Amino acid sequence: MSQVLTTCGLCGCGCGVYVESTGGRLAGLCPSEFHPINAGRLCIKGWNAIPSLLGQDRLITPLVRKGDSLEPASWDEALSLTASTLVRLSSEFGPQAIGVIGSSGITNEECYSLAKFARCVLRTTNLDSVSRLYDLSTVTGLLETVGVPASQADIGSVADANAILVIGCNVMEQFPLVGSRIEDAARKGSCVISVDPRDTRLDAHASMVVHLRPGTDIVWLRALLRTVLDRRLYVQTESQIAGLEELKNSLADVDIADFAAKCGVAQDSIVNVAEALSEHSSPIIMFGLGVLQQAASTELVKALANLAMLLGGRVMPLRGQANSQGAADLGLSADLLPGYGLFTDRMAREYWERVWECELPEKPGMPVPKMLEACRSGELKALLVFGDNLALSAPNTTETLASLDEVEFLIVTDMYLTETAVRADVVLPACSFLEKDGTFTNLERRIQRVRKVAPSIGQSRSDLAIIASLASLLGAKMSDDPARVMGEISALVSMYRGVTYQSLDEGWGVPWATDGQRMRLSALPPNGHSEDDPEYPFRLISSRINYPHRTGTVCTRDHVLSREYADPYAELGESDAERLGIKPGSLVRISSRSGSVVRRLMLSSSLPAGCVHVPHYFGGDSPNALASYDCDPMSGVPAYKACAVKIEAVR
Amino acid sequence: MKTTQTYVLPKSDAVMFFACVGKEMRLIAPTRLFGSDVRFGEVESTKDIVFDYGRDLYPPKRFLLPHHENMFRYSEDGGSIEVSLEAPAQAIIGIRSCDVMAIRFQERFFCNQIVDPYFKPRLDNTVFFSLVCNAPPREECFCICCDSGPYLESDFDVQLTDLGDRFLYEVGSPKGEEATALGSFALREAQSTDLAESHRIQLQADSQFKTVAYLAKAINFISADEVPDDVYEKLGATCFRCGACTNLCPVCTCYTVDDQREKGATFVRRRFWDSCQYSGFTREASGHNPRATPGSRLARRLYHKASYQYIMRDGRHGCVGCGRCVTACLTHLGIPEVVKSIRRAMAEYLSTPEKAVEVK
Repeated sequence: MSQVLTTCGLCGCGCGVYVESTGGRLAGLCPSEFHPINAGRLCIKGWNAIPSLLGQDRLITPLVRKGDSLEPASWDEALSLTASTLVRLSSEFGPQAIGVIGSSGITNEECYSLAKFARCVLRTTNLDSVSRLYDLSTVTGLLETVGVPASQADIGSVADANAILVIGCNVMEQFPLVGSRIEDAARKGSCVISVDPRDTRLDAHASMVVHLRPGTDIVWLRALLRTVLDRRLYVQTESQIAGLEELKNSLADVDIADFAAKCGVAQDSIVNVAEALSEHSSPIIMFGLGVLQQAASTELVKALANLAMLLGGRVMPLRGQANSQGAADLGLSADLLPGYGLFTDRMAREYWERVWECELPEKPGMPVPKMLEACRSGELKALLVFGDNLALSAPNTTETLASLDEVEFLIVTDMYLTETAVRADVVLPACSFLEKDGTFTNLERRIQRVRKVAPSIGQSRSDLAIIASLASLLGAKMSDDPARVMGEISALVSMYRGVTYQSLDEGWGVPWATDGQRMRLSALPPNGHSEDDPEYPFRLISSRINYPHRTGTVCTRDHVLSREYADPYAELGESDAERLGIKPGSLVRISSRSGSVVRRLMLSSSLPAGCVHVPHYFGGDSPNALASYDCDPMSGVPAYKACAVKIEAVR
Repeated sequence: MKTTQTYVLPKSDAVMFFACVGKEMRLIAPTRLFGSDVRFGEVESTKDIVFDYGRDLYPPKRFLLPHHENMFRYSEDGGSIEVSLEAPAQAIIGIRSCDVMAIRFQERFFCNQIVDPYFKPRLDNTVFFSLVCNAPPREECFCICCDSGPYLESDFDVQLTDLGDRFLYEVGSPKGEEATALGSFALREAQSTDLAESHRIQLQADSQFKTVAYLAKAINFISADEVPDDVYEKLGATCFRCGACTNLCPVCTCYTVDDQREKGATFVRRRFWDSCQYSGFTREASGHNPRATPGSRLARRLYHKASYQYIMRDGRHGCVGCGRCVTACLTHLGIPEVVKSIRRAMAEYLSTPEKAVEVK
């Protein structure tokens, strides 16, 4: 019997859990009582992690496509087929015909190795992480404003915040360990402001609730910033804030009354929020996918960062995947090198060319949505997907599936045979985080150990081992030892300097330091919000609910989690349902110009009129199908939120 | 049963004593893990046992009712059923009084009427060396309100009281007597001064509780089903639905089973802890859910923890005051807090005539 401390990888919080095993079988899991993130607590996903991760249909051997079916194959066969095909396609069409996409749920060591493998071994710049489909606008928005592409607050400090603004995040369901701290803060008298189109569970603890019409967040934030400036509610003297004049000028067009009407809020409420945040000093500004997946997501992040800087507060992006932070830190991104050097920066490129002993072309590669389009156009011949279910995480499922079907050679590593993996030419069985060593960097920048607590299921291997074997077949030497890879990272990436497994073991991991940042307010020129479409009269509110995670691949494997909701559902207000003549309990098709999903309709009193709420992740399909490939121009994150949709009964 | 034999075990001999016990059975005891975390587990060397620990968050009930266990294997194409039952002889050393009382409660649930063929043999093969709390180990502890600690007057096999350089060693059952015999050479007769010291410690521990749960009054309201739904719903609205309160409750017995394909045609029936706080727990096949709201599920939990029904059936209410639900709750729905809210709400309802009509 053994008990090993590891870090839960089912969201970005990074809770410490002990996993108990007896006779080689996992027998239990319990939170660490003294861990700074969870202090003896866990969410429903954490409590049920073992059956989710060790489901009966875990992939146990590599699979190789033979005609229409995927057949079990040996590692040798699958890897040599992969390597030889990559060599052939690369020599025939050039290395840029290969694309590599990594999950943000793999370890730091795997993220770093994958970035290095793509750039130095495959010699392609078409490398990206699936954060591009979730929360990457955090990085683009924050680098230009607060200077730190990460949370400035740690989870524990939330309980002592004077004021907290939460916008675009169902925090109580999606980040219970943060939500719990918000409740503590509210009990101590903190001013909590909840901004969401729907009523959420946070409202019970909020001093103010603002319901914005979906997609009007940027309008509201510009009005709010203008109010803060006009009323001189900001804390610093003018000379201290770089960019203040530019910001003021860029907000010249703001007409509070008109803007409030556009957002569907009272003019007073904007003033009230501004005054409350200013009065209760140093607010923590939290935001999630509700703003990070909009058409103007980078502008939204900049607006929120402006707000935090003006009020002497801190930003706290709530990033939902175990290692979103680490993936960006370590350059698993089309436009970033490890440590946030821009790919377009010659100096940064030269540094990595020198240490990696490889050549990096000048032009950055394609982000995920562009890679998928390039699969369709034939520009990409091979796509390697490490641990993500793109079929459901990418927008417009019809086009995405066509991309996955059309690319000549698709390699997928995953724990389960996902909707993406079934389309692959080679499927490599990957370990869960319970079966490997490494580190995750959580949403508050804390680098923590992931420890192997169980033997690998079947023949599955860690992504690190898979990368190392592929590299070796392609004639390069890459380590499959996570500690050695961390040694390389800590020697080369400044924010990970000095990090060793030994130093991480001395405490509960270490957060990387944010000192030395250069803050600058960002101008926010007028930004149109999407106009109503008479043919698609409803607005989509997609949300993350309590139980599932990402595309549902993992959590639907667990008896308890999959039991919580019997059926995938959508919610509509009673008057809208009556107007459409649709009875609750019946099936409805929700469609946009990009796609459709079928859901069982439930009535809800927590929705504004004209909006439909479709929770994510029951497996099978996703409301992401309703979004198009239109992306935020700065971050390249698709605009999943606030799509125009219509609702029809399924006859 | 009143203690029949009382000894003293010098601390310097405890390692050797338990090593002797360990020759006959596996030893489960608290050991230090990371930071201040202490957890019960199988100990290889009795030197690793920590006696000056607070309380293990993960209740030792799992050594009798594992969090996840395989029950049996069967084959799709018929054939025999292969039962996988592990019930090794084991000593649980250092277990707290509240956890012993919780297991006594579980014993009545699993070993009366329909006997659970997994729990019973495990319990039969287990001897408890419980450890008196010289002071409540955690601020959240309230065993004093639940008649389950900080020390036991009966229901223990062996009870240890830390007297500084030695333990007072009380034998309370035939099972305890048998286990004691394995290392009796290390024990010496207790003197009256030892008993006096132990008594002093008990009085001292009794008076140090910071958390109180005024259970008696709440039990009246809850048992009579007088609490308006509204009170439960308001409390339930803050629930995060994590299930920690029942997972970590040393008394809770609920589990679910599923069948997983193991290999080819072989399936394994697994059993694991389940929680009445999950909505799927009570949802019927028709889709109807008698406990559809978090408030109604909280009410269900309260009935089990604090109502006459269980006192009548099992001889005590279903809470031992360990405080784990306080520690592990993401909001403030630990038993003392809920009981307090109910008492306050009831006082308000009963004193407001227009509200009093809502009281059932």
